[in-house]
Amino acid sequence: MYYFSQVLIAIFLFSAQTTWLELFSFGGVTPDLILVWVVYCGVRCSRAGGIGAGITLGLLQDSLSGGLLGVNTLSKGLIAYFFSTLKDKFFVEGVIPIGIFLVFSSIFDGLVFYFSMATILKGEVASGFLYQLLPVCSIYNALIGPFMFVVLDRIDGWVQPKTSNSYMGTTR
Amino acid sequence: MPNKGNKNKKNIVLVFAILLFSLALMTLNVKQEKGVRFLDSMTGVILSPFQNFFTQTIQSVSDSINHYLFLVDVSRQNDQLKLEVQRLINEKNQLIEHLASQKRLAKLMAYEDDWENKTVVASVIGRDATQWSKVVVINKGTQDGVADHLAVITDAGVIGQVIHAGLNTSKVLLIVDGRSAVDALFQDSRVSGVVVGMGGDECRLKFVPNTADVKVGDLVLSSGLGGIFPKGLIIGKVSQVARKKQGLFQEITLIPSSDLSRLEEVLVLLP
Repeated sequence: MYYFSQVLIAIFLFSAQTTWLELFSFGGVTPDLILVWVVYCGVRCSRAGGIGAGITLGLLQDSLSGGLLGVNTLSKGLIAYFFSTLKDKFFVEGVIPIGIFLVFSSIFDGLVFYFSMATILKGEVASGFLYQLLPVCSIYNALIGPFMFVVLDRIDGWVQPKTSNSYMGTTR
Repeated sequence: MPNKGNKNKKNIVLVFAILLFSLALMTLNVKQEKGVRFLDSMTGVILSPFQNFFTQTIQSVSDSINHYLFLVDVSRQNDQLKLEVQRLINEKNQLIEHLASQKRLAKLMAYEDDWENKTVVASVIGRDATQWSKVVVINKGTQDGVADHLAVITDAGVIGQVIHAGLNTSKVLLIVDGRSAVDALFQDSRVSGVVVGMGGDECRLKFVPNTADVKVGDLVLSSGLGGIFPKGLIIGKVSQVARKKQGLFQEITLIPSSDLSRLEEVLVLLP
């Protein structure tokens, strides 16, 4: 049941990301729902589960984008690794900590894209990418992230009412 | 203490594993291995029904709103549209004359007739899963004759090229993507250059000499070189021109002729 719910969430998030999320773009930037979910998995799941989710979601995102395969696998994998490994050392509950983590994750994700574009693909990157698009995207992710955390917590609560209680620090 | 050392070793191995796996994928992708393409096709096949569903739902909701709720200015719009139709009829007649003379003189329009026979109309059903790449997904694939490196256009002009044709969906790299490059020339001066994407909403026209006479509003067409885009398709209009005192080339910015943020139906030009 748990894995089935995760597949449904993945289908919904990827469909949303590639279709109607464009309607909510701000300054040409849309939130990265997959990134938020990766951070969520890193924080809420077990270490292996979090890293596995990060790599799998990154790989899926790569295969659904026209960019270089492996870029999102790398960034999402490392983000999930970071949160899975260090979640016990940080306080990761509440709107502000989650928002801050999402800002840093978004910046890291954007920088991985930027350097892969500049070094491997030798392509052009929008002139305002680093000081305009990336900060806007980070803030957008940080704003939408806590809301998504609440929704994903609720879904996990419905799917695993007895075994999962993320607020008490229990991990899957 | 030994436990901590083991944990650190494990962490290092894990990070290296993620790095190696990602780099292997990038290498395979650059070398265009078939296994990697298979992954793309698989995810496309799985997700395309959901993308179709969401796109059609949004379109029908938006159509309902446009047709039934926003009727306030319809009468005024109708008058304006009648005038516009009249203007377009005149323009069309002029174009027919122009087309006829072109046919007589150089028989250049023969291949345009061919296009009419060899095109596939496709709907845009999705966008890139990451927002940084400028790629759209269309609902036609190899089953419909779509293949890699085919030009994709709208009635307004060039929008991009197919970079990966799956079974029933294809990915189209838009001309604004940082990896796109289209050989182009100015309609009036016939000076050539290369239109490259900038990853945003605009393109840059490179390698146009400082001596060339370029003005804001000049039309830029595909030159036919490169083998993907046929000659004469509209790419965009010049929006900015900057001449540096030092340097050989001008810095020219283009606005694509098609509105790439609101693509719905597109035309794939088959070989």
